[in-house]
Amino acid sequence: MNALLKASGLTKRYDGRGGCVDVDLDVYPGEVLCIVGESGSGKTTLLNALAIRTGVDSGALAYRTREGDTLDLLALNEPQKRLLSRTEWGFVHQNARDGLRRNVSAGANIGEPLMAIGARHYGRLRETASDWMTRVELDAARIDELPSAFSGGMQQRLQIARNLVTGPRLVFMDEPTAGLDVSVQARLLDLLRTLTSKLHLAAVIVTHDIGVARLLAHRLMVMKDGRVVESGLTDQVLDDPQHPYTQTLVASVLPV
Amino acid sequence: MNMTDEEAFATGDTLMLRACGIDKTFTLHQQGGARIHALAGVSLEVKRGECIVLAGASGAGKSALLRCMYGNYLATAGSIAVRDDSRPARYVSLTQATPHDIIRLRTTTLGYVSQFLRAIPRVSSLDLVAEPLITRGVDEDEARDRACALLERLNVPRRLWTLAPATFSGGEQQRVNIARGLIAAQPVLLLDEPTASLDAENRDVVAQLIVDARECGAAIVGIFHDSDTRERVATRIVHIDSSSLSNHDSQAGAVHTC
Repeated sequence: MNALLKASGLTKRYDGRGGCVDVDLDVYPGEVLCIVGESGSGKTTLLNALAIRTGVDSGALAYRTREGDTLDLLALNEPQKRLLSRTEWGFVHQNARDGLRRNVSAGANIGEPLMAIGARHYGRLRETASDWMTRVELDAARIDELPSAFSGGMQQRLQIARNLVTGPRLVFMDEPTAGLDVSVQARLLDLLRTLTSKLHLAAVIVTHDIGVARLLAHRLMVMKDGRVVESGLTDQVLDDPQHPYTQTLVASVLPV
Repeated sequence: MNMTDEEAFATGDTLMLRACGIDKTFTLHQQGGARIHALAGVSLEVKRGECIVLAGASGAGKSALLRCMYGNYLATAGSIAVRDDSRPARYVSLTQATPHDIIRLRTTTLGYVSQFLRAIPRVSSLDLVAEPLITRGVDEDEARDRACALLERLNVPRRLWTLAPATFSGGEQQRVNIARGLIAAQPVLLLDEPTASLDAENRDVVAQLIVDARECGAAIVGIFHDSDTRERVATRIVHIDSSSLSNHDSQAGAVHTC
């Protein structure tokens, strides 16, 4: 398989309702895929199912590793899942607090994922953490401060650094810019855009913001009531939407 | 145009892009399913070293045709094929291509300059212009040098290069847009009124860039409203006629070549 991640007929229901139904998708190396849709459309459920953070009712899910092996993600045991999420994946939560450890310093938050895969040299860990703070445009002099000392936008960047420090190939992001000031959003978007292209990173990003999707995504999937109603090249879906729901979504964006 | 795409691309070595019988109809679901017919039965062949200027009244579907040929609009009917010598058939069908194929085709072959720059927050003009080269694997320093040279040629003041173009004048933004669209020198160029917001001097510069690209073998389709630019760049003018579709159902072909 050429795709990095491939889902077929993925279904996850809650008591027979909600969730996502019969979703097919693939993500290629270096490709950014955005999943858009309103609240309750099932996009976060789908993201959690793809990242095997939740079980699914039916379907198939495969991932191609760095070594070129194809893994059946639905058959992995817990240690295998943990290894995958430490070495090949990242997961950026909507709320930075869910993705950071509150009682350790910014530097430790970045260094910890490296220690989890065996890094032990304190000086080098600190150097790497400091380097990553600079890369996400945080002041490296604040390396010993706790996450709570940083603003919301800064915490989000810290969470991104924590996720990228291990050099993952695929990152899942749940509304990474939601709840941030517009100016802070622009900075974060620019950062994400630069990092994904420079690191040749594949990403699956859930967002309800069409502007975010247009800026970041190569491809777009539109979800409604748990199903994918339209998908394709980002600019094609947004400039020539075919499905009634996508047309409503695009027409609802306020012009700047 | 009775040949198949296979025959056309196999026998015509200079053929770069071929559109056959393109219809484009928009269905507006928000407005009771109203249908707007933008193109009916448009066919076009573009060869290396050729610059076809699309002419016709506003609303005749000129931009829609360019967008269909870039994969930005989905053609409702008809086929569009683009030269791709890396394949045994030597072409790709754009109208049947997957999104991945289209992304690749845009990297290797298809260039497009829109009417307006879609600015990206916080990215400097220089980086915007250099980006298409960097994506194609050109060394960053070389990409920046070439971007500088092109911005210079387009008379974009040096003090603006490090700034994001959101606050630039319309003409300045458009020149950044043109530089970004032309820097990678793609073999097929689709130009949607690139000179619309420019003064005479800069129109002249852009016209010369287009002529240079054409003489280097690019296959170009463009829309230009000023007759000076049109005369300088065009090797052929194709009229797209809106009267034949006029938004009731019509089977009429809509292209006259002169």
